Amino acid sequence: MSVTLNASTSSGLVQTADTSGTIELQSNGTTRLTVASGGVTANNLSLNSTAITSFGGGVITSGTAVASTSGTSIDFTSIPSWVKRITVEIIGVSTNGTSNFLIQLGTSGGIVSTGYLSGVGSRSNETTSTAGFIVGIPAAAGNNLTGIIPICNYTTNAWVTSGVLSRQDGFLNASGGSISSLGGTLDRIRITTVNGTDTFDAGSINILYEG
Amino acid sequence: MTHRIVVDVQTGEVTQVEYTAEEQAAYDAAVAAQAEASAETPAETPVEPTEGV
Repeated sequence: MSVTLNASTSSGLVQTADTSGTIELQSNGTTRLTVASGGVTANNLSLNSTAITSFGGGVITSGTAVASTSGTSIDFTSIPSWVKRITVEIIGVSTNGTSNFLIQLGTSGGIVSTGYLSGVGSRSNETTSTAGFIVGIPAAAGNNLTGIIPICNYTTNAWVTSGVLSRQDGFLNASGGSISSLGGTLDRIRITTVNGTDTFDAGSINILYEG
Repeated sequence: MTHRIVVDVQTGEVTQVEYTAEEQAAYDAAVAAQAEASAETPAETPVEPTEGV
């Protein structure tokens, strides 16, 4: 129960009240707007674009940039379930080896390391992976990569990506891939290497996410 | 110990998570296998054209 204002077609405005601290606006018995301590929830909300004069921000949310100077992987966790697009931002990232860069998605059950179809190529070197989105080919240890990799929701748990990283020697690494079923709702993403043992030694990584 | 970096995008908290004993054992085995493979096979140097794409 809550404080309810119901615009009824039979009795006009009907008001009921309790001490729940929640307000509901109803149209003929159907709740369309709920104001509670956790936030505002709208049901079947339509926004007229001419009525929207500005957004206060938050449409695209930035994660936290982290130095990629140690460790074998960098995980971004607690990604909201409503996210439809994630952009991985990679600036000057290198490792102590030559294993190709890999991005893996995950759910509450952990990182998913199978079921991907992905490939990456530079001018004379290309390779594929089913263990993740393969996105970069560092031809030599310390060879750093810079660029963005957008990852977009396709259907419920299917995701698709395509992006380009610029390697410090001037070669572009173009990549693309998909996973048809993640097996659950995406809530994390991992940036690592194919062999899983090379260690990050330079640069920084962040993500943007949006619904 | 080997570790990974974990960033919670809701709180902004960045933590360094050490490998579990099981993960560390898998890591050590993978590194050993790579060393063995590179000892058996001469390393190949990627060859790229001199001009960028």
